[in-house]
Amino acid sequence: MSKADTQLMIELENVDKFFGSFQALKGVSLTVGKGEKVVVCGPSGSGKSTLIRCINRLEEHNSGKIVINGHELTSQVKDIDAVRREVGMVFQSFNLFPHLTVIENLMLAPRLVRKTSKNENRENAMRLLERVKIPDQAEKWPSQLSGGQQQRVAIARALCMNPEVILFDEPTSALDPEMISEVLDVMTDLAQEGMTMIVVTHEMGFARSVADKVVFMDEGEIVETGPPETFFDNPKSDRTKQFLEQILTH
Amino acid sequence: MDAITGWWDDFFWGSLVVVELFFVALIMTVLFGLIGAGAKLSNSRIAQNIAAGYTIVFRGTPEILVLLLFYFGSAIALTSIAQIFDPEVKFVDFPPFWAGSFAIALIIGSYATETFRGAFLGVDPGQIEAARALGLSNLQTFIYVRIPAMWRLALPPFGNHMLSLIKDTALVAIIGLEETLFVAEQAIATTAKPFTMYILVGLIYLGFSTVITLTVMVLEKYANRHLEVAR
Amino acid sequence: MSFDIDLIIDSIPKMLMGIGLTFQLLFLSLLLGTALAIILLIMRISGRWYLSWPTMAFIYIFRGTPILVQIFIIYYGFPQLEIIRESIFWPILKEPFGCAIVALTLNTGAYVSEIFRGGVLGVDRGLKEAGAALGLSVTQRFIYITSPIALRLCLPAYSNDVISLMKSTALASTITLLDMMGIARTIVAETYAPYEIFTSVMVIYLIITWIIQRTFGWIEKRMSRHIRKEA
Repeated sequence: MSKADTQLMIELENVDKFFGSFQALKGVSLTVGKGEKVVVCGPSGSGKSTLIRCINRLEEHNSGKIVINGHELTSQVKDIDAVRREVGMVFQSFNLFPHLTVIENLMLAPRLVRKTSKNENRENAMRLLERVKIPDQAEKWPSQLSGGQQQRVAIARALCMNPEVILFDEPTSALDPEMISEVLDVMTDLAQEGMTMIVVTHEMGFARSVADKVVFMDEGEIVETGPPETFFDNPKSDRTKQFLEQILTH
Repeated sequence: MDAITGWWDDFFWGSLVVVELFFVALIMTVLFGLIGAGAKLSNSRIAQNIAAGYTIVFRGTPEILVLLLFYFGSAIALTSIAQIFDPEVKFVDFPPFWAGSFAIALIIGSYATETFRGAFLGVDPGQIEAARALGLSNLQTFIYVRIPAMWRLALPPFGNHMLSLIKDTALVAIIGLEETLFVAEQAIATTAKPFTMYILVGLIYLGFSTVITLTVMVLEKYANRHLEVAR
Repeated sequence: MSFDIDLIIDSIPKMLMGIGLTFQLLFLSLLLGTALAIILLIMRISGRWYLSWPTMAFIYIFRGTPILVQIFIIYYGFPQLEIIRESIFWPILKEPFGCAIVALTLNTGAYVSEIFRGGVLGVDRGLKEAGAALGLSVTQRFIYITSPIALRLCLPAYSNDVISLMKSTALASTITLLDMMGIARTIVAETYAPYEIFTSVMVIYLIITWIIQRTFGWIEKRMSRHIRKEA
């Protein structure tokens, strides 16, 4: 487990988010240091997805402050763009572009957003495909790959933009069981290389072995935060205890 | 069949006019369709209402009526404008080619509006999110992700619109455009063989619609090439 | 450019006299065309090549050529052929009304049979299998299971076709029939006031379209009510 640096990567201060009259986030405050791995867990509807989607502005927070690597996230387009260049995202349903081959999927954003040259772009992309262990799939269409392979491509795609932090929104929830470990392995490698990661997941094994900090959310609030040993073996709140019982005994 | 000899040339040039009309109208149709869909999908109530009015009027009015209205209407408008400059002017003609292609484009454009709108709505929002999460601007997302996803959905119904388009071009003969039906009428005047001539026109159009259908089939295959090989 | 209100008020009743003919063309062609469509559908899905191929050819020809050309072939072209002049159909085919009905019927038949086919293909295979498992014969499955579901599925497309047919009736004015469009064109020829006349007749057509759409909306609601109740 890597030591969290004192440099703050992400800071949420008292963030509220409403969907109409429904409050999805209630005064959420959280800090994530550079190189820190944070796992967010909780029952469905607890706001964990909303939380990370606010970080890269896929959702707009209604009040409170969100600061990423020194940039405050406001409604200004250039602030949003600046944030999105630093923050990568991996989705539950992969969201690969079906009309582009695997390698084209990786090369699109660097070409358009960072204006990387074609050769450099392709080299980077191939290197990342090797890193996620599927370089031979470069010219295939996403629909030709298995779920596990597609998600690994999605991780590579996020990495292509050289982000400072990657958000994972339930990356393995849509996968068949036998493919979960190949994706978790890639994520573990990433963690060991020092990437800052926020992972929303139910995979408690992963949380135990990789996380620096586990956050439990329920009904829009952060109920408990702590390092994995304390969190899993000695949860402070009753709600946390209840949740862990449900998750760990099935 | 010998009745047709001597007329092949004229029918050929008439067919060329049809092809020109088709492409000009097609470009305008796509334009009107995109603008209309954009208006309907926008947040502006005014834009939505205007687009709704547009589709209602042009989908519910007989094509021949639209053509006549545009042709005579624009001739009158042009004449009035001309009379401001020169009161002696009696009547300014509006070229039937442009009146015709514009009118047809408005008509088919109203159908295309609905088609494009449905196709845009059918784009997987997850892809748009992925594009935005990667930092692509709105314009870049639109061009590189939205449009490719949307035209695959729009292609089959748009293929039908193109068939309607080519068939509507026949109506422009009513406002005097010298295309195939016009040639046929001249040929009939000399040869007194209406059946032969009109069948020929029918065959010409059948040829055109076959080309369009085949082209759409090829385009559909291309648009779906990444799906056919699914595991 | 003046807008002559008096002229409009004067002309509307005259144009409405044409509405009778418009409706006759619409309903008669719709009825006969739908009946033809059912026959064509059965031939098409019969699985026997000598039935399905001619049907596909028929549909291909009638959907690939402009209705105007079809009307001209039947009205202007057929009299050229002796076989037609000596057949029992001649009394119908020498009248413009008869020709219009024949053209519209054949056209509608082609389009609607494809619409029905789409509906039939849209019926879930599992439902047909359940019917088979229960011991129903092919015909029984078709009548009691496939048809009701297919009908509901193709209702939107069918209503669109009815509106198209309504618009096509306006083409009857090109072969001297005095439906609404025919009367409108006559008045315009006399008064040189295309804007007023054509705009008014357009409004009338839009009202008819609106009525057709509402009617089908109501029918669709009624047919879906069964679904919602069972759910």
